[in-house]
Amino acid sequence: MKHRKKAAAVMLASVMAMSALSGCSKAPGGTETSATAGAGTQSPGGESQAVSQDAPKEAVTLRMWGGVPAEAGPQKVCDNFNELYKDKGIQVEYERFVNDDTGNLKLETNLLSGTGVDLYMTYTTDVLVKRASGNMALDLSQLMERDGFELTNYFGSMAEAYYVDGKPYSIPTKLDKYGIVINKDMFDAAGIPVPTEWTFEEFREIAKTLTHGEGQDKVYGMFWNSQQDLTYLFQYLVAQTNGGDPMYLSETESSFQDPVVLKTVELLNNMMNVDMTSPTHTDSMTQKLSQEGMFLTGKSAMTVGPWIVRSIKDTATYPHDFTTAFAPYPVVEEGKRNYTQGGYGDHLCINPKSEHVEEAWEFAKWYATEGMLPVVEGGRVPASNTYDAEEVTKAFLSGAEDHMDSESTMAVLIAPADNYAVPSITNHAAEVKKVAVEELEKIFIGQQTVEEGMAAAKERADEILKQ
Amino acid sequence: MKWKLSKQMKTDLVGYSFILPNILGVLLFTLFPMLFSLIISFTDWDYTQGFGNWNVVGVENFIRMWSDEWFTSSLINTLIFAVTVVPLTVFFALVLAVIIDKYCFAKLPIRLAFFMPYISNVVAVAIVWVMMYSPWGPVTQLVQAFGVENPPQWLGDPKWALAAIILMTIWSGVGYANMIYTSAIQGLPRDVYEAADIDGANEITKFFKLTVPFLSPTTFFLIITTFVTSFQVFAPIQIMTRGGPGTSTNVLVYYIYTSAFTFYKMGYASSMAWILFIILFVITIIQWRGQKKWVSY
Repeated sequence: MKHRKKAAAVMLASVMAMSALSGCSKAPGGTETSATAGAGTQSPGGESQAVSQDAPKEAVTLRMWGGVPAEAGPQKVCDNFNELYKDKGIQVEYERFVNDDTGNLKLETNLLSGTGVDLYMTYTTDVLVKRASGNMALDLSQLMERDGFELTNYFGSMAEAYYVDGKPYSIPTKLDKYGIVINKDMFDAAGIPVPTEWTFEEFREIAKTLTHGEGQDKVYGMFWNSQQDLTYLFQYLVAQTNGGDPMYLSETESSFQDPVVLKTVELLNNMMNVDMTSPTHTDSMTQKLSQEGMFLTGKSAMTVGPWIVRSIKDTATYPHDFTTAFAPYPVVEEGKRNYTQGGYGDHLCINPKSEHVEEAWEFAKWYATEGMLPVVEGGRVPASNTYDAEEVTKAFLSGAEDHMDSESTMAVLIAPADNYAVPSITNHAAEVKKVAVEELEKIFIGQQTVEEGMAAAKERADEILKQ
Repeated sequence: MKWKLSKQMKTDLVGYSFILPNILGVLLFTLFPMLFSLIISFTDWDYTQGFGNWNVVGVENFIRMWSDEWFTSSLINTLIFAVTVVPLTVFFALVLAVIIDKYCFAKLPIRLAFFMPYISNVVAVAIVWVMMYSPWGPVTQLVQAFGVENPPQWLGDPKWALAAIILMTIWSGVGYANMIYTSAIQGLPRDVYEAADIDGANEITKFFKLTVPFLSPTTFFLIITTFVTSFQVFAPIQIMTRGGPGTSTNVLVYYIYTSAFTFYKMGYASSMAWILFIILFVITIIQWRGQKKWVSY
């Protein structure tokens, strides 16, 4: 009898342990509350969401995931929305995921496993296609038809370029229009006006003029930021002449032998290794250079990515007193600017498994057409035509009126165009990109010539594309 | 009906219930994922297509990988990594252990100093070494001080990047092997050494004729474990080079990670993981067979 008691106690203990274990195992796949726990937040939102099922009069709390840090605008957006919609029973909560492989994986795991996310941002087209075809994004056509919310009314016909299999799975919210970032003080000192049109050759010469000094004090004409991503040269330079799929000729053929591509690779190679007007790729990698560390400290006169607007405004962390201006990316030859570099980004999607699709749709519409101003201050230009350009420019410059040239900012980054280079091919995009990066690295390091490297890249990429 | 349990069975049940939580954990978090990965290694599962949305493709994955340049180059890099890291780590650890044991004052602090990298976080260690290898870092400065005019760019040079990571791995692994050797050395029979002294054997002879054979079981253990860990190298690669420049530091586990979480090819990645397992298994078996020739207990 005594034995049996002991055994019972042990069994009880192990049953408790078991239930604890199975509790863990359910988190990624299970019920509403556990999925919310899986989202990794300890906020009260989860509870109120659970409560709302029993008592429908309670406010619905949406969970929105985005890659922008909350303090760079999204928090303010949510606060504004919550204020506006508190009587209508919708509240929204923002959660940041880091927009890299790991962060996107975390988001997708949540999307595939449950209802922890109601709305989220997708940042690139290939990922959007993947999510749309993988049942991670809701087909919005019915909601749009019901509410008469025609994407083309707000975003022009380019919106249709982001349809997947002919259906809208997202609302594009941000206009990605980029250009070369310019230290205007250095340009003024050298007597060069801020360019509004230039070719590779002119760009290369200007970079030479602006380069001076030696060793640690050297000021470079250009910083390519190549350690972050080597495929910028396709996205920004090649796309202006060849269109939205700069790495492809067709679904089954890569563009790595295209003359424009070759000339672009040569341009970078010459500037890094012949003219020495930009830090080499090796320097960028081994010294872990950054746009902030190069451009904002005055070590380079130009750089490639206007997404440092966030840092330009942050004069406490990056003190500098020069004025920043912008210029369109140079083109391969005169008259070859066939497209405007740019397109839509920040694709707002709804989780098809969400239990609050209606509310999420309300928020999405509001965000795209009127709610975005706080994130404009963080450097994101709204895509919808419901915003006033002057107001957007003002918000974009706010806090940096003395540091940014308003005229070129508006012309290069904000003024909409009608001939964007819109991507449409995503076949094996990650692999093709990896091939390009590997061969480009070897070219810029000096292991192979441009001809050899790009021929190898073409052969390898085409092999993959034929699979 | 009443259950009649023999006394033996009761004792057994109590015993099993004690290990039940752990067994469940193993089943749930180790055995099930292993079996699952074996199953999906025969499919073309794309992670984004959702769970269960896959086609069975048989052994196609296992055939295709041998014509995949990324796979073959990563396999070669892994082999180079393992066959340099394992012998060098074990060799330096053995020599160090003997030297510290015989000729050093303050043995404990010195051993601890060697052990520090092993117990430090890999990520922190790797980041420090990135700085060491940078053009302004101490490694480059040292090489320059020896009169080399254009020191290599270490992590930025395809010829040197893997070597640079190998060097760091050896440095951080020596302390652990050293600890194992030290404890083995302390258990060596003193009388045999005394007998050798009386016979007039010098230090070198004693090292090769006595210490090395005495320590052979320890060496065997270290070789097997270091081999397994060096085949699984991932963190330093991810932090220091991300497989680059080019494919020069792309190792097997890093490529498995890339194809699973960048290319989303879960099925293909799983089949490579199983090949990795088979390779390790075969190597370990060979080592077990081979030990009879050189390990003396």
